Amino acid sequence: MFKNHIKIAWRTLLKHKGLFTINILGLAIGIAAALIIFLFVSDELSYDRFHEKSDQIVRVVLKGRMNGEVIKEAVTPGPVAQTLQEEFPEVHRATRLKSEGTPQITYKNQTFRNNKFAYVDPNFFEVFTVPFIKGDPKTALKEPNTIIITQELASKYFGDENPIGQLLDFKEWEQQFKVTGVIQKLPDNSHFHFDAFGSMEGVAHAKEARWIESGYHSYLLLDNRAGLKQIENKLPGVVEKYMGPQIKKAMGMTYEEFKDGNEIGLFLQPLADIHLHSDFADITNLEPGGDIKTLYIFSAIAIFILLIACINFMNLSTAAASKRAKEVGIKKVLGSSKKELIKQFLAESFITTAIAMVLALIVVIIALPLFNNLSGKALVISYILNPKILFYFMIAGLFISLLAGSYPAFFLSSFKPITALKNKFTNTGKTKGLRSGLVVFQFMISVGLIIATLVVDQQMAFIQNKDIGYQKDQMLVLRDSWMLGTNEEVFKEQLSKDPRVSSITMSGHIPAGPSYRHMTSIYPGQNSDALRRSVVYNIDEQYIPTMGMKLVAGRNFSKDFGSESNTMIINETSAKIMGFANDAVGKTATMAINNEGGTRIYTVIGVVKDFHFNSLHEPIDQLIMLNYKSSGLIIRAKTADMAGLIASAEGFWNDFKTGEPFGYGLLDELYNQTYLKEQKMGTILRIFALLTIFVACLGLFGLITFTAEQRFKEIGIRKVLGSSVPQIIAMLSSDFLKLVLISFLIAFPLGFYAMNMWLEDFAYRIEIQWWVFAVAGCITMLIAFITIGWKSFKAASMNPIESLQTE
Amino acid sequence: MLLQLNKISKWVQSGGQKVFLLKDIDLWVHEGDFISIMGPSGSGKSTLLNIIGMLDDFNEGEYAFLDESVHTLKEKHRSNLYKQYIGFVFQSYHLIDELTVKENLEMPLLYKKHGGSERKALVADMLDRFNIVGKKDLFPSQLSGGQQQLVGIARALIANPKLILADEPTGNLNSKQGEEIMEIFKELNNEGVTIIQVTHSEKNTSYGSRIINLLDGEVV
Repeated sequence: MFKNHIKIAWRTLLKHKGLFTINILGLAIGIAAALIIFLFVSDELSYDRFHEKSDQIVRVVLKGRMNGEVIKEAVTPGPVAQTLQEEFPEVHRATRLKSEGTPQITYKNQTFRNNKFAYVDPNFFEVFTVPFIKGDPKTALKEPNTIIITQELASKYFGDENPIGQLLDFKEWEQQFKVTGVIQKLPDNSHFHFDAFGSMEGVAHAKEARWIESGYHSYLLLDNRAGLKQIENKLPGVVEKYMGPQIKKAMGMTYEEFKDGNEIGLFLQPLADIHLHSDFADITNLEPGGDIKTLYIFSAIAIFILLIACINFMNLSTAAASKRAKEVGIKKVLGSSKKELIKQFLAESFITTAIAMVLALIVVIIALPLFNNLSGKALVISYILNPKILFYFMIAGLFISLLAGSYPAFFLSSFKPITALKNKFTNTGKTKGLRSGLVVFQFMISVGLIIATLVVDQQMAFIQNKDIGYQKDQMLVLRDSWMLGTNEEVFKEQLSKDPRVSSITMSGHIPAGPSYRHMTSIYPGQNSDALRRSVVYNIDEQYIPTMGMKLVAGRNFSKDFGSESNTMIINETSAKIMGFANDAVGKTATMAINNEGGTRIYTVIGVVKDFHFNSLHEPIDQLIMLNYKSSGLIIRAKTADMAGLIASAEGFWNDFKTGEPFGYGLLDELYNQTYLKEQKMGTILRIFALLTIFVACLGLFGLITFTAEQRFKEIGIRKVLGSSVPQIIAMLSSDFLKLVLISFLIAFPLGFYAMNMWLEDFAYRIEIQWWVFAVAGCITMLIAFITIGWKSFKAASMNPIESLQTE
Repeated sequence: MLLQLNKISKWVQSGGQKVFLLKDIDLWVHEGDFISIMGPSGSGKSTLLNIIGMLDDFNEGEYAFLDESVHTLKEKHRSNLYKQYIGFVFQSYHLIDELTVKENLEMPLLYKKHGGSERKALVADMLDRFNIVGKKDLFPSQLSGGQQQLVGIARALIANPKLILADEPTGNLNSKQGEEIMEIFKELNNEGVTIIQVTHSEKNTSYGSRIINLLDGEVV
């Protein structure tokens, strides 16, 4: 019997080729899209789970509020880890990591500087699981000045030599590290990727009991995850006990006084949450993380596109019912039970789904490199081919075929044999109503996705075109010029002679892209109660004009005024926060210069117009500028010929024979990098929106085909009676276009609501305009009309004799 | 007695009025009968045949098939009854287009859960009996009308029914093909199969033993 079901199902599918193609194509696209999203989502969810004890590891983070400034940092003061281990028996181990950027590392005459380096406590690799190729994870970092490097780095420096026992030279730090271990490269799905780990043993700072200075990533290994809440509840006590006295010393107020208006606290974050749930200040994150919202959005799209494909199957099967009625009638008369018929129709949907799944796998194999390119991921198809996932894939396939096939199966098998055989069968109002509802749902999703795409595009354009308070075009950034040491000035002089250069400033403080950010504590006048943290830019006299920033009051730093070591320029936000209103110039502010209560007083000489030194996700905060030396060059060019300018700068650079390759950045590119995640999401969203509307239109195309066939005779009669072609097209398509219109009514408010939620992540954002909806509606309507129109036209322009003769 | 109809009526409501399709029909059928139902279009011939075949309901009266009263049976029992005892032959053959001749013949056996080898044997018998062995792998669209109706009859017979109901079995055939089909019915009847046919043709009635004339839903 089963064989017979499959056989007849297969032949039926072949007979209705058009229907079959639409169903397979729709399902294959839906399944392929869902598969790719599944790969993406499971990769995002797999972060840091490769550590053997991953569910027992937590990170300690710092959250609080100081004079209105929100503090959210993934780093803690140095002594936190050790202290928590001593205070709580539930803490099995505590370990720290301190990121130190990319120092120059030299071996013999080879120097590289693209290696990410971090200090870690000696027990770091007893908490985290990283496979050692050489050396012992327990003892490798016991001694000061020892280092563990990745296999990649080892072969770069030592080739085939044994790396163990070799000395690596850190010239800038005047330090040498002995290699005591070689590890495998960290997997992609780790929240940190360092090439070298140095022992924290030798770092004096790490041993000091400084409680009001952050910088250490602290991790705890707990007995079990359940202890997390208990420990977290006791953390405020720890903060008061250890941080309290130091706050008093540094700020001159007791912890009680400090807590009046301020708060500061330690919290625990499970290791597996780090990648997707890290809304901490960017500079305290080891790497930019993922975003749980993106995951939700993509998962929703996966489900929607699958649903739309399933709906096509249901709609087309019930619409084509009249074609199948005779077969149902005969089979019932020959003795088939309803159950047997249901089985047979389900067999059809199983076959369709199975073929679509195979096709989807092929599509995924082809499209995955493309998606990886867009998303910056390295997803591999082999993940699906693991038996467990493959089993789930099969189950999902079974579910899809049941979802798509069960309603048509029950509907078709319930025909009465006599009506079916006499071809009296007509589409009942009930199924037509349901079909209409499903079409509305499909187009609601489609137009919703178009709205989402338009809003994301608009916000991205807004970011591109927003007046960010400085010039970002034709700006060349040479961060590495510090490597020239005393020759940096010479290099600057050489460059400034180039006619293509408009001006140059020497400063390492760049408002866009990843950059080192110096923070300080400051308060207006003598009012230490108003202490607040602020970003500090160390700049020279050319910085403000070169960057195209504007002064709204006072003056720029200038050699004409002698020493500027006690003056500062503040941004508008600072003036507002410090209560200087419109006459900031001449006011003073006190800045902490160490944690023992030492301070220095500065006089405000100018106010710079607010510019965006954070991403547009965050509001502009307090920033002060001091006239101190800082390394790094920013060049403003007069030319569009940036490539030529870069080439000649590289020529000068090479003359200094640093042995270092020339590195540069363009300010507009650095700026765009900040929004890469959103841009990628926008592109991916657009592709999925297109696919969704394509699948929805496939269904619509199928439906109009059946409608035209069913109304074949009616069209003939109408034409004989004098109806014109446009009138018939209007008659055929108006029913469907009405449904599309109804879908707008639902999609518009939903889209408005959902996209406003997305926009809330940006402190600076667009208002959603009415015309976004108009455009989305018009696009959808147009696509729907083209889909329907062609078939309607063909039906409308046939010779009426044909249809009337068939009766 | 194979079946007995007692004052069977069927009507539809139209504009608040009952329109009778059948009115007070009495009918006895014995095993081995060959009955022809005649009458003009719309006289209720097909409706009567469908009611006998239990494919259609009636509003009033009693129907006993092999001493079981059909009108009190549940839908499911009723369909089990006709599946077991009745074979249908249609004017437009109603073969399944997607299946070959052999597979069409096999279909009723599948629903009756016969084993594979038994099915093969029965199908082979039928192909042999109707001389269509050479056509067994063809699809219905590759056959002439007469050949299709042969397959239709073979399919109706394969499950060994007591009664064959034929709704204008020769209606779509030319006279030569029609004669052949009627000869086959005659033979089957001689072998003991009960046949009820609906027909327009006086000639066809000559093959049968009894004629029932219908006019506007009533026996005349």
